[in-house]
Amino acid sequence: MANHSDASEENQKRKTATSDPREKATYAVPVAKGLINTLKHILRNEPNTIHYPDEKRTPYPGYRGEHRLKRDELGREKCVACFMCSTACPAHCIEIVAEEAPWDDREKRPRLFNIDMMRCIYCGMCEEACPCDAIELTPVFNIPARTRAEKIYDKDKLLSL
Amino acid sequence: MADQQTNDDTVAMTRWQLNGQEVESPTGMTIMEAAKEHGIEIPCFCYHPGLSIAGNCRICMVESNRSRKPVISCSEKIAEGLEIETESELAVSSRNSVMEFQLINHPLDCPVCDKAGECTLQDHSYKHGPDRSRFVEDKNIRHTKELGPSISIWGNRCIVCTRCIRFCDEISGTSELCIVERGDRSVVDVFPEIPIDNQLAGNTVDICPVGALISHDFKYEARVWNMDRKDSVCGGCSRGCNVEVETLDGFVKRLMPRENLEVNDWWMCDEGRYGWRHLYADDRLSQATRDGAALADVSATAALEQLLCESGPVAFLIDPYLTCEEMHLVQGLAASRPGSSVGGWLPEDGNAANFPSGFTISAAKYPNRAGAELIFGDQVFGDDAKELQKSLVSSDFTTVVAFCGGHLSSGPGESWAKSLSSTPTSIIFSVKNGPWLEGASLVLPATAPIEKDGTWINEDGRLQRTRSCWSPGTEPFSVELVRLQTLQNALGIRGRSLSAAGIFRELAATHDSFAGHNHSDLGSPGLLLSQRPAGIAMDGGSE
Repeated sequence: MANHSDASEENQKRKTATSDPREKATYAVPVAKGLINTLKHILRNEPNTIHYPDEKRTPYPGYRGEHRLKRDELGREKCVACFMCSTACPAHCIEIVAEEAPWDDREKRPRLFNIDMMRCIYCGMCEEACPCDAIELTPVFNIPARTRAEKIYDKDKLLSL
Repeated sequence: MADQQTNDDTVAMTRWQLNGQEVESPTGMTIMEAAKEHGIEIPCFCYHPGLSIAGNCRICMVESNRSRKPVISCSEKIAEGLEIETESELAVSSRNSVMEFQLINHPLDCPVCDKAGECTLQDHSYKHGPDRSRFVEDKNIRHTKELGPSISIWGNRCIVCTRCIRFCDEISGTSELCIVERGDRSVVDVFPEIPIDNQLAGNTVDICPVGALISHDFKYEARVWNMDRKDSVCGGCSRGCNVEVETLDGFVKRLMPRENLEVNDWWMCDEGRYGWRHLYADDRLSQATRDGAALADVSATAALEQLLCESGPVAFLIDPYLTCEEMHLVQGLAASRPGSSVGGWLPEDGNAANFPSGFTISAAKYPNRAGAELIFGDQVFGDDAKELQKSLVSSDFTTVVAFCGGHLSSGPGESWAKSLSSTPTSIIFSVKNGPWLEGASLVLPATAPIEKDGTWINEDGRLQRTRSCWSPGTEPFSVELVRLQTLQNALGIRGRSLSAAGIFRELAATHDSFAGHNHSDLGSPGLLLSQRPAGIAMDGGSE
């Protein structure tokens, strides 16, 4: 009961606050400023859109687009199949199956590395989680496909990007 | 097996102080065990409740009023007037220093280490370790090699806790492992040309607190945090070791022993541990067939109903892999067809083994003979079975329902196969393809022991709950429990289908030996049934 009456008092206060004519007046200046800005843009008459795909905008640094897997200096995949990316992935779009690596200096590598690009939300957590700097999100954003199967990137495709 | 804990009032108690609190614990307990009882977990590497105390990892050091230096809580016993501080400056700083030393030569290759996620070193490092290393010198390189057919060692990861060595000395009694080299170069190894190849070797991997010992079977198979776990019971022999079945996307990846001091302590044998591979063997049956033609799962149940509804008296051939619940359903079916008869086949005995620790592997390689004898009578695998075979050969029955379970067994013998094929209508539940399926009218895929949900009675007469490794709704085919109930529904002897727990309640209501029991009070150690079937020795249990 006590809580209920507190809440109604709070409401009452808020009502009186908003109905204060002086407070209303404070909105007038920023609104006017905003409208002036709008008016300026109208008068300038320059388009803010571009003619995509004829013109392409360069993404800002740090833009998160299509993924790729990196290679080391010997041309082998850097990935050691530790599953950190798939563990960190909030969309559960990374599927990995590990196998023994054929190299002396490495124990493990991915046999299968699939990213379901349809499910990916491009949050970049995989890149963040990777202890080997093996996965990265490139600035490539136009990645259309004709079939769903094409949108599931396998290891070879990710390494070739 | 392990000593039974007595909860008498006569246990002498010792008063001591833990972190400033006056507490009481049974006399003779170590500080670590006693503190655990009072809710304070002291970190440890080399301590294992099933092994002797080595006291070599030093992570469990605590401050004591009886010593100027910190004492190790795993071996120090509590005493009257002892004052222990686990969170004092001295205790915390010694713990942190030990942790820093442990990590000096550790490769920190958690991303590729199979132990990551269930690694004690990882956990303790998170809680007590430094966030960076002050060690700028080169780390020691120690050997990575195969120690035996199923185990390898990554020497760099080893923290020389000697748990595996003590295991081989005390539990398996085979003593294959030893420490070679001295100081920071010391590492676990085997003697030349004597690989670790005992029947309990897999346990050394479980008890390794770090990823030094790795089982070939599980190497790179999965990350442990992605797996689902089910508390189950191994059906490999009638010992009924408690296990945890770990699955990834519905596929079994490994079996781990589960602590049960009444049955298997903390251990299990390698035969049971690696036996799950047979679930996915080529000879595994997954497709129902009628007269050789493939049948959809639903139609298979319908075909079963049709064949049974038309039949007169039915011969039931059971196996010792069925759960008590499934047996109860078979009994219900047999009772509903007057003139029916039940007999059972037994797989051949395998090798038994006894270990110095008291761990045993039974020669009876099936989980539920005792349950069958309790439900169908002592002679179900004896005279009843002989009679059933005789009447099958002389074609007294036109219909036979046979259960040929067990993914590890070689199936019913030739004579049973012959008598099954001589019956006009034979309905066979089978886990594997085999000669016994020849000429069968209806073949239904059956569940292997770790896929079953229900209860088994082990050789001591202990009723244990086993859970299916499948998650509900992912079963690749109808399990026997469902099929038999659907059949009973069709025959009009059952109103609605129940879960395994529901069937067990029915069983408890109709069968004296199970009276008063239900799934929920079986608990993790299981229950010793008060009334045991003949041929099973009484032991000192108090239930």
